[in-house]
Amino acid sequence: MTAQQPLVATRDLGVHFRLSRNTVLKAVDRVSFDVLPGETFGIIGESGSGKTTLGRALVCLEAPSAGQVLHQGRDPYALSRRQLRQHRRNYQVVFQDPNAALDPRMTILRSVREPLDVAATMPRAQRDEVAMQAMERVGLSPDFAARYPHELSGGQKQRVCIARVLTLRPSVIVCDEAVAALDVSIQADILNLLADLQREFGLTYIFITHNLGVVGHISDRVAVMYLGRLVEMGETEAVLARPLHPYTDALLSAEPVALPSHMRTSQRVILSGELPSPVSPPSGCRFRTRCRFAQDLCAAKEPEWSEVEPGHWAACHFAGTLPVTSSPVHGVAEVVA
Amino acid sequence: MDHAVKQPLLEVNKLSAFFRAGRGEVQVTRDVSFTMAPGEMVGLVGESGCGKTVTGLALMGLLPPASSRLEGKILLQGQDLIAMPPSAKRRLRGRRISMIFQEPMSALDPVFTIGHQISETLRAHQDVSRAEARNRAIEALARVGIPEPTLRYDAYPHQLSGGMRQRAMIAIALVCEPQLLIADEPTTALDVTVQAQIVDVLGELCTRMGMAMLFITHDLGLVSQTCSRLVTMYAGEVVEEGRVDDILLRPRHPYSSGLLRSLPALTQRKARLPAIPGRVPVRGDMPPGCRFQPRCAHAQPPCTAPQPLRAVQPQGEVRCCRAEELILPGVLPVERAA
Ligand SMILES: Nc1ncnc2c1ncn2[C@@H]1O[C@H](COP(=O)(O)OP(=O)(O)O)[C@@H](O)[C@H]1O
Ligand SMILES: Nc1ncnc2c1ncn2[C@@H]1O[C@H](COP(=O)(O)OP(=O)(O)O)[C@@H](O)[C@H]1O
Ligand code: SF4
Ligand code: SF4
Ligand SMILES: [Mg+2]
Ligand SMILES: [Mg+2]
Repeated sequence: MTAQQPLVATRDLGVHFRLSRNTVLKAVDRVSFDVLPGETFGIIGESGSGKTTLGRALVCLEAPSAGQVLHQGRDPYALSRRQLRQHRRNYQVVFQDPNAALDPRMTILRSVREPLDVAATMPRAQRDEVAMQAMERVGLSPDFAARYPHELSGGQKQRVCIARVLTLRPSVIVCDEAVAALDVSIQADILNLLADLQREFGLTYIFITHNLGVVGHISDRVAVMYLGRLVEMGETEAVLARPLHPYTDALLSAEPVALPSHMRTSQRVILSGELPSPVSPPSGCRFRTRCRFAQDLCAAKEPEWSEVEPGHWAACHFAGTLPVTSSPVHGVAEVVA
Repeated sequence: MDHAVKQPLLEVNKLSAFFRAGRGEVQVTRDVSFTMAPGEMVGLVGESGCGKTVTGLALMGLLPPASSRLEGKILLQGQDLIAMPPSAKRRLRGRRISMIFQEPMSALDPVFTIGHQISETLRAHQDVSRAEARNRAIEALARVGIPEPTLRYDAYPHQLSGGMRQRAMIAIALVCEPQLLIADEPTTALDVTVQAQIVDVLGELCTRMGMAMLFITHDLGLVSQTCSRLVTMYAGEVVEEGRVDDILLRPRHPYSSGLLRSLPALTQRKARLPAIPGRVPVRGDMPPGCRFQPRCAHAQPPCTAPQPLRAVQPQGEVRCCRAEELILPGVLPVERAA
């Protein structure tokens, strides 16, 4: 695993927003991880934990306030402006709300072609052709070309957004809650499509979601974020089946799993309270105000980010020694097999 | 079975909703029928656009009278809500039936404190003094898990987080201890952690007050955790009704089965997800006969005939002529569910 050069990496990355003269909100705070080529890297956490900001920083839509984002080992901000523009085509994002990404007055073909129009590196006829190919690839027949967004369903609009980014032939796509607004049946369709595209184009995904069923299904590895910091990271099976951090445990336990009553075994841990203000996070361990295992030490000292088991990282003073009880969210299929 | 012995609290019988459109009107739900026993928790599921919210609003009498029309019967303990004069219906709302929504701001008034809104709801329906209303409102805030309820009484909606607003809306809906709560996707906009808290509060209040709840959601996991019975809607019609545990293991309608199978947690990691091809038909493009037929893998010639909702053995109701012969997978593969 270490032999491969990471395609995307962060080193003590911070993204800070200055809210007023003396308040700074650290939406992302000292975050370090590597994403390998061809991998699907999931990021989960409650809303407000900094997932979107982190995702934006990974594709240079948000500049680091501290630390670094590295693309294939290089700092994209060291590139000239022109080079950076060219370089960014490789790093694309698909957002939750396709309506926000599509101009209601543009035909579907024009929306799909738009990134190529902006890049202006091909003649028009070729841009049309590439756009039509991308549409076909995501399962939109040619008669969609002349239609407008309002004539399309949510799932079809999300396909348009995926086709749009495909025209640029990116190597990395950040999917920020890309299937969250879709009905389960349509969500399944889009997840299948993303898997096909990954195989075909060797894509690397950074998959941000609050849906544990989704993240468990498609990710190779997952990172858990809380108030701007990573609290756990590892292989998906390990994190979901044997979480090391009490926060991960609570998230898993809160996920409602469709099982008949006699098959529900795990007792639920209901997390009390809500996410504290990120402007003044709790001292020591940020999770301590909601943690059922918190001790005096947790307020006094920030837990270290350490590799508790090979490839499985956590930031908790007592990681590996706590009686966490996870529920079978990641695959009822595996659990009941 | 057990729900049939008690006298139903709610009986919805062939309820159809129509909206005015230009010169004519369009029908958005057709012949919706189901019953609820006192204290029963029933889930109402289906893809978006299937008519769940319209059904909930119809039960509440909240569809716009000028531009909509209902056919059929809604009987609350035998009393027909559709035939009832508007003033009587208003008295019922909040007192015997309440509704909560996905977006609490639509139900909260931004210019009044939440405490005021709860007290006023109570005073509109019950003859209580201001002081008593205040006390009961503070109690209601405490019951839904709002910390420091005495202080929060004076908070305005915008001063609360999304989860706290949702709790405030629940407090308003429940302060008069209604017999029936219609909860329309009340946790869809919330994090799973806060969702778990809210669902817990709702479940506990229902049990404590003996209140029935119609839980509208697209989340089958949530239904399995909160409800004992399930109604599946498709394209404006009820297609299946039965006990949650039965349907999870052995759905009788191909659409219910499809919804369950597309849950990613039920498929081996990275394997292909069984999606339902196509999409919900739009008005004017309704297939004749079974409305699910264009998307159904089990369709056969008889499916082009209209499908009635009919009882199946050992219990439940299904709108599918092949219900008896089909063995459909639920959350487990067919062999494991036997
Ligand atoms: N442009 C911005 N200015 C100020 N604060 C921001 C900005 N963008 C995000 N934030 C804050 O940063 C925190 C993390 O937000 P976000 O990255 O959107 O989290 P998530 O995607 O996990 O919900 C939140 O507290 C949010 O309010
Ligand atoms: N006020 C209205 N006028 C016309 N059509 C409506 C109105 N409200 C809802 N509809 C239509 O009724 C159908 C059912 O909608 P709804 O009950 O909101 O679905 P669900 O809650 O299951 O997503 C949809 O096709 C919707 O467009
Ligand atoms: S460090 Fe302490 S407060 Fe933080 S997660 Fe571990 S036990 Fe809980
Ligand atoms: S009636 Fe036919 S088409 Fe409709 S759900 Fe049943 S098998 Fe499928
Ligand atoms: Mg976000
Ligand atoms: Mg709805």
